[in-house]
Amino acid sequence: MKKLLSLALVSVLSLACLTGCSSSTEEAKTNPYKIGISQYGEHASLDNCREGFIQGLKDAGLVEGEDFVIDYQNAGFNDATTTQIAQNFSAQNVDIMCAIATPSATACYAAAEDKDIPVIFTAITDPVEAKLDKGNVTGTSDKLPIAAQLDLIRSLQPDDDTIGIIYTESEPNSVSAIREYKELAPDYGFAIEAIGITQQSQATQAADTLIAKGVDCFSNLTDNNVVGVLASILEKTDEAGIPVYGSEVEQVVLGCVASAGIEYFELGKQTGAMAVKVLKGEAKASEMPYETITEYGIYINNDAAAAFAVEIPADIAEKAIAVNAQ
Amino acid sequence: MLELKNITKIYNPGEITEVCLFDNFNLSIKKGEFVSIVGSNGSGKTSLLNIICGSIPVEDGEVIISGKNINKIKDFRRYEHIGRVYQNPALGTCPELTILENMSLADNKGKRFGLSFAINRSRINFYKEQLSILGLGLEDKLDIKIGSLSGGQRQAVALVMATLTPLDFLILDEHTAALDPKTAEIIMELTDKVVREKQLTAMMVTHNLRYAVEYGSRLIMMDKGHIIMDKDGEEKKATKVDDILDIFTKISIECGN
Amino acid sequence: MNIVFDLCVSTLTQGLIYGLIAYGVYITYKILDFPDLTVDGSFPLGAAVTAVLLTSGADPFVTIPAAMIAGAVAGLATGIIHVKFNIRDLLSGIIVQTALFSINLKIGGSNLIIPREIDTIFTSGPVMALFGDLGLMYRKLIVALVIAVIIKIILDIYFKTKSGLLLRAVGDNSSLVTTLAKDSGNVKIVGLVIANALVAAAGCLVCHEQRAFSNTMGTGQVVFGLAAVIIGSTIFKRFGFVKGTTAAIVGAVIYKACIMIAITLGLDANLLNLVTAIMFLIILVMGNHNRKGKVKHHA
Repeated sequence: MKKLLSLALVSVLSLACLTGCSSSTEEAKTNPYKIGISQYGEHASLDNCREGFIQGLKDAGLVEGEDFVIDYQNAGFNDATTTQIAQNFSAQNVDIMCAIATPSATACYAAAEDKDIPVIFTAITDPVEAKLDKGNVTGTSDKLPIAAQLDLIRSLQPDDDTIGIIYTESEPNSVSAIREYKELAPDYGFAIEAIGITQQSQATQAADTLIAKGVDCFSNLTDNNVVGVLASILEKTDEAGIPVYGSEVEQVVLGCVASAGIEYFELGKQTGAMAVKVLKGEAKASEMPYETITEYGIYINNDAAAAFAVEIPADIAEKAIAVNAQ
Repeated sequence: MLELKNITKIYNPGEITEVCLFDNFNLSIKKGEFVSIVGSNGSGKTSLLNIICGSIPVEDGEVIISGKNINKIKDFRRYEHIGRVYQNPALGTCPELTILENMSLADNKGKRFGLSFAINRSRINFYKEQLSILGLGLEDKLDIKIGSLSGGQRQAVALVMATLTPLDFLILDEHTAALDPKTAEIIMELTDKVVREKQLTAMMVTHNLRYAVEYGSRLIMMDKGHIIMDKDGEEKKATKVDDILDIFTKISIECGN
Repeated sequence: MNIVFDLCVSTLTQGLIYGLIAYGVYITYKILDFPDLTVDGSFPLGAAVTAVLLTSGADPFVTIPAAMIAGAVAGLATGIIHVKFNIRDLLSGIIVQTALFSINLKIGGSNLIIPREIDTIFTSGPVMALFGDLGLMYRKLIVALVIAVIIKIILDIYFKTKSGLLLRAVGDNSSLVTTLAKDSGNVKIVGLVIANALVAAAGCLVCHEQRAFSNTMGTGQVVFGLAAVIIGSTIFKRFGFVKGTTAAIVGAVIYKACIMIAITLGLDANLLNLVTAIMFLIILVMGNHNRKGKVKHHA
């Protein structure tokens, strides 16, 4: 048994060396940009970011396989794995690291320090808080357009005054979003009823509590624990006759009435364009400030709106994109 | 030396399975006595030992050692003056530790286990001397793990370890029961030798009537929580196996054994 | 070959840093036979304490003992719950781990990043004075190696002291310890305190190395620690002279190497946990041979 194990280890190790060598010789032949993409885990929004990022590279005229090669790794939501992925990129001397979500970004930034490899991040809500606003690093923020969302809800529900939100207390993005919601809500004549949870199993309970408290509508963040059980929350709110507003298009597809949200694919494209500038030497990551999306898409699920008798004002209907429920 | 006064022990009190084992049980053992205890299964032999060692609580009564009531004293504290050899040879030694390490554990019994080195080289000769009493040649194998010894050898080491430091009282809990007859015989002889040489007060629970008759200075037979036979001195010396076998068979049949 | 060399350096560094968890799990699981789930909480606890101290300007080297004290308190809590309140080992660990989730959030928030202006142990004065000419990657390896070796030596010496011998005896045969007039419960508590102090030290080093604390970083560390210890002890089973601490740290390096190989080979990370689980199972089954043998000896 022990011999088998050591044999397996040795063979895997040598295989690793071989692939390591072969990929470096390949690089020498055509010399395309080598891009390491480290994604925290597989998840619709993060996947969209990655696909958008690659599209952004292509939009700049680069051809995959000729002008650039991608080494895509996801960490399966394990922080220790993000470290090893980043160190792998660093060892490979990639030309740029693209990090999707905060844990991946901090790991890439730490691993890139030695060789000063530029890091481009996306899907980070607050790069300042994450200390990714200076150094050889830049990227895009997926900060929610909270004011736009509040404005949208105000237009669709002119007579109502409380918004219920469920959020995870340990998700920094959610915590900061709640803070902003509470700050901005009075400007739009709303009060926020927020319930913090610590794990996904508590989300539906929290929904029951909010319904019992008699909130006029729900608004969602991009909180993984909540979005993960959105279908079951919607079942409850549908029964209670309370409309739910989403924070991205996927949620509207699921049955939320509307959202003023970011499109992660677009965010990824914007990130890809930034990466191209760095790769071509047109700009340095250390000198580029991080970017946020300024134009937000409004998505409306007309079936859901009709079911809750939510009237869509003409000016909004005009710029909104209609989404069909599944 | 040891006195049990008015001991009452009830298992599962208040439950449907409630069993009253001891009701006003009394026993007194004098210094230097080597008491053999026999009895059928469930007669209370092992419970008696556990009560003395504090492994199980009593509902009423007093446990007195050297004139001092030890009812309130926790089990591990009682072992400061009590040595015990279990039926299972695995319980008296640490299998993953070497003989030397086991001996030094036993040697430090009752002392502080601080940050000084456990093995005191100057004590090694003493350990060897003690092990050589066994006549098993273990004194030359100090660095091998106890786990690689046979059950009999381990029980022999356990016996030496239990009696390495000065004791008030030695408890032998069917300590030959798990061994093959030949090894059991050797261990029993060793026990007798150790008890005599160190002039210990000892209490031995056994299923072997012959050992009970041949060894020790006092013989007690128990049944259902009562002492039904108690012989010492000349009376004990005159007792033959056959004398107690009938009574023993009778109580065993009553218990359905 | 440069890539392979770099990969080896970083994998070795990771293995040595996370190896401190393996030391801790070696004490609880291998010596005390106590499956200690506190680890998933005491690891980020060490990191949280470190991150807060570093960002508030403390000397980087102060964070190591500070984190260890915090971890020791966590171990103490598990020990007291288990021994004094008579709660089963797994449950005691789960209770403390659950409580630590909140405590870690209170200490460090959900994320705490240490900006590059702040010195870590890898960039602090004494280290720079000695190894300043080397790249950061090599400095990290050297510091991790020095710490891992120092802790290993201290542990090996400790196991030879009376207290250490008693600790080994408790895991081996707690009834013997009782007959030595020692409370085996207290000895278990000592073991848990030491183990969790080591786990928190690992959290501390990871925080220095990553310049970040995240409240999710504890997930899976128990499994890692167990895997490392079992890999190590299975591989070195036949070499009696190899110390348990050595086996644990080598096991940790091998585990991290396997992950790195999986990444290098481009294995789907979603399958990574499955692969880990299967590898773990194989090694456990192999280790089982050993266990059965041991039980036989007991009888």
